[in-house]
Amino acid sequence: MNTWTQTTALSIAALCLAAPTLADELTVYTALEEEEIAAYVEAAQAAMPDTEINVLRLSTGKLGARLLAEAENPQADVIWGWAVSAMMDPQILEMLEPYEAAGSDVLPEKFRSGDGKWFAPIGYMGAFCVNTARLEEKGLPMPSSWADLEDPAFKDEILMPDPNSSGTGYLHVNAVLQSMGEEAGWAQLAAVDPNMAQYTSSGSKPCKSARVGEYTVGISLAFTAMQSIEEGYPLAMVFPEGGVGYELEASGLMASSDNKEAAKAFLDWTMSDEVIGLYQTYKALITVPGVDASEAAEKAGLPAEISTILADVDFVKAAEDQMAVKDKWKEKFGR
Amino acid sequence: MSLAETSSRARMRPRFDADRLLTLACIGLPLLGLILFFAYPMVIVFLRSITVGDSYGLGNYTEVLGSSGFWRATRHSLAMGGATTVLSVLLGFIIAHGLYRCAFRGKWLIRSVIVLPLLAPSLVQALGLIFLLGRNGVISRMLGVEIEIYGFWGLLIANTLYALPQAVMIIGAALVLLDARTYEAAEVMGAPPWRQFRDLTLPAARFGILNAAFVCFTITITDFGNAAVIGGDYSVLATEIYSQVVGQRNFNMGAVVGIMLLLPTVISYSIERQAMKRQQAGQITGQEPYRPSFAPLRDISMAALSLLICAGILSVIGIVVYASFVTLWPYNMALSPKHYDITLAGGYSSLWMTIFISLAAASGGTVAVFLMGLGLRRLPKAVAQPIQILAAMPAAVPGMVLGLAYILTFNSTATPLYLLYGTAALIAIVNFYHYHTQGFLTVMTGFRQLPSALEEAAGSLGAGLGRTARDIVAPFIAPMLVSVFFFLFMRSMVTLSAVVFLTTPDLSVAAVTIMRLDDAGLTSQAAAFSTCVMGVVCLAVLSMKVTLALLRRRGANKGAT
Repeated sequence: MNTWTQTTALSIAALCLAAPTLADELTVYTALEEEEIAAYVEAAQAAMPDTEINVLRLSTGKLGARLLAEAENPQADVIWGWAVSAMMDPQILEMLEPYEAAGSDVLPEKFRSGDGKWFAPIGYMGAFCVNTARLEEKGLPMPSSWADLEDPAFKDEILMPDPNSSGTGYLHVNAVLQSMGEEAGWAQLAAVDPNMAQYTSSGSKPCKSARVGEYTVGISLAFTAMQSIEEGYPLAMVFPEGGVGYELEASGLMASSDNKEAAKAFLDWTMSDEVIGLYQTYKALITVPGVDASEAAEKAGLPAEISTILADVDFVKAAEDQMAVKDKWKEKFGR
Repeated sequence: MSLAETSSRARMRPRFDADRLLTLACIGLPLLGLILFFAYPMVIVFLRSITVGDSYGLGNYTEVLGSSGFWRATRHSLAMGGATTVLSVLLGFIIAHGLYRCAFRGKWLIRSVIVLPLLAPSLVQALGLIFLLGRNGVISRMLGVEIEIYGFWGLLIANTLYALPQAVMIIGAALVLLDARTYEAAEVMGAPPWRQFRDLTLPAARFGILNAAFVCFTITITDFGNAAVIGGDYSVLATEIYSQVVGQRNFNMGAVVGIMLLLPTVISYSIERQAMKRQQAGQITGQEPYRPSFAPLRDISMAALSLLICAGILSVIGIVVYASFVTLWPYNMALSPKHYDITLAGGYSSLWMTIFISLAAASGGTVAVFLMGLGLRRLPKAVAQPIQILAAMPAAVPGMVLGLAYILTFNSTATPLYLLYGTAALIAIVNFYHYHTQGFLTVMTGFRQLPSALEEAAGSLGAGLGRTARDIVAPFIAPMLVSVFFFLFMRSMVTLSAVVFLTTPDLSVAAVTIMRLDDAGLTSQAAAFSTCVMGVVCLAVLSMKVTLALLRRRGANKGAT
């Protein structure tokens, strides 16, 4: 038993020594997708050979929880590509320091904050994931709008993320409310509520359930839809008429960073011509004027002029209304 | 005689003092760990739960208690906890009884299958149930009817799968040590088998059954993973916490629900303690391992039931392993190894680190609960009781709450504990304390069967606590220590909920890789990676078992020569 205790103590001591706290490293927290992170970081590392770029990838919600839990002693130098509606949480804004990344001034005002705390050259969209095999089997019509989902034939065939648990859920709810107007928007949500089989806690789950044929329609993310189609699932990606919700992926500088030079250099790099070229490969939604998302969009079968399918979203209002909308939603549709 | 006794006592006084010191160390070290790595972080969570703006108050509590969603989730959680407990303890008893009290072949098979849910990443169980019983699952398609698995029943099955091996482990600890002589005596006195079962087996197993029930109830009401994937709209308290903390970045409200979850646990544990008071502890001296003889009716039905349960477990996990080799489940069933070519999310690199962390958590944890159990036997009841409650509490904390509590606690430069933040050691520690309850209660159940007369005899023969522990207690408790070790090892390999908040850019574990692959939409790759993890765990457990067997044989040979 003694040797046991000793070896345990020794191995624990060894583990402690392996603590990863070196000086010229940059810690980046992100919610971008794995595949694109790999490509971007490779390029960034080549552009900044003297800095070791360490990336922590978590989903939007978990990243928020982590940032808030670490608030007393933040570990990240940079937040990179994180949902702007989460970024606009006052608790998060408080941790950021204004920094106008070189090149971010070309972004329309809508896509960067007035006080320079965040900027968002890229974003992602919501989408309906429709399982064509199940659609056919059930003899259902292909939906093309929110109103189409009111059809009682869709009863228990639709999944949607709960806005109280998932940013994607709020993305959709907000888009419906802002594009249709408060009253009509709530009426629309109420009209589809009886057909909803579940409100899920994850934003991508509706699409993942739909693609394996558990349900017919998953109100979810365009990224997951495209990825599933590429893998070969019998899935169609549908953008509802009247505009689909979208989200900006914002970046900002942590005020607590002890390596601000490298952090700023990295933020500058996220607006560089080099990375904008990469955005065109991976992103369907690019907010940099004059840069079209032709490559990625074409691959996914999107119209060249992407703005035609987007809802007209006011992100500042979306952030302000957030609490009230979520509460009202829970009261009306909470299960 | 009495003179000799007194003089021997007098001679032994100095040793008894050394013993007291050893007792203190036995109880002190694990207790210190429990306070630093469980109680202290939970105090921080409690402080967050009463933080309103910049001051303290009960505002968060009144707000939570006033919401209808909370009460609905509470009702659901209690109903689910109760149902899972009844089902798992019943099935767990059947299996443990089959394993230790019946005679049939192939027990090794049952023993190895029953632990599979412990070493399966939560994704596997969820996917397995959906692939099997989902609306487009194998069984639905075979029957041509769509089974509606999402909701109460699906969640009940998922929770029972997860709770069952833990129930078997704890109830088994109570049954494995029953003395054969009592049964022989009953036989001689002409007691029929059902009387033996009612009057001997059941009462002896009561402590184990109550402990198992406590564990099943607690882990069910704190589980988020199953509720999120298979629970459908059946909201439970753990989903409430997730929605508050992850969905709305509302930490303090999440902390309130986290603290409330402790209540039912403390209450049920106190009830259990109360119930145990009526039972006299300890057994008669002299242990003769029970060797069941073949009783056709009992044994065949027990074996059949156990095999049926095992078949269920195997099919849930097997289907995911199979699906990981399928090109595109369920649309292109051609077999292909392509999902094993994993390059994203760090690839296979996290696997080795995870093994290392799990071994550390398992060995450190096993020693800690053993020392604590040993020390508790020698403490007065009034002192032992509160320590026991504290030691049984960690299961009542959802993994997510524990993980976030660790950030709040160890990412603060206020204490030297900050040095642990971002290290593999802290991940090993959180894994152990996350599963402290199960390890502790298994060892305590084992200790309960240890005749105190045996220790007393050793003591009066002049053996100090150290020798008694090594030569009498450890060999006696060894089967439980082994199962606790493997339990901690297997859970540490795959648990996600607490660990996900403690990984860093250059320190990741297998469960996080699985989550990242699934997040990236690569569910089949996540299943493939899970299959690799399960394979590695099986290999590791197997090689450790072989080593143990070899050691035992060598020990036996040495004893013989």
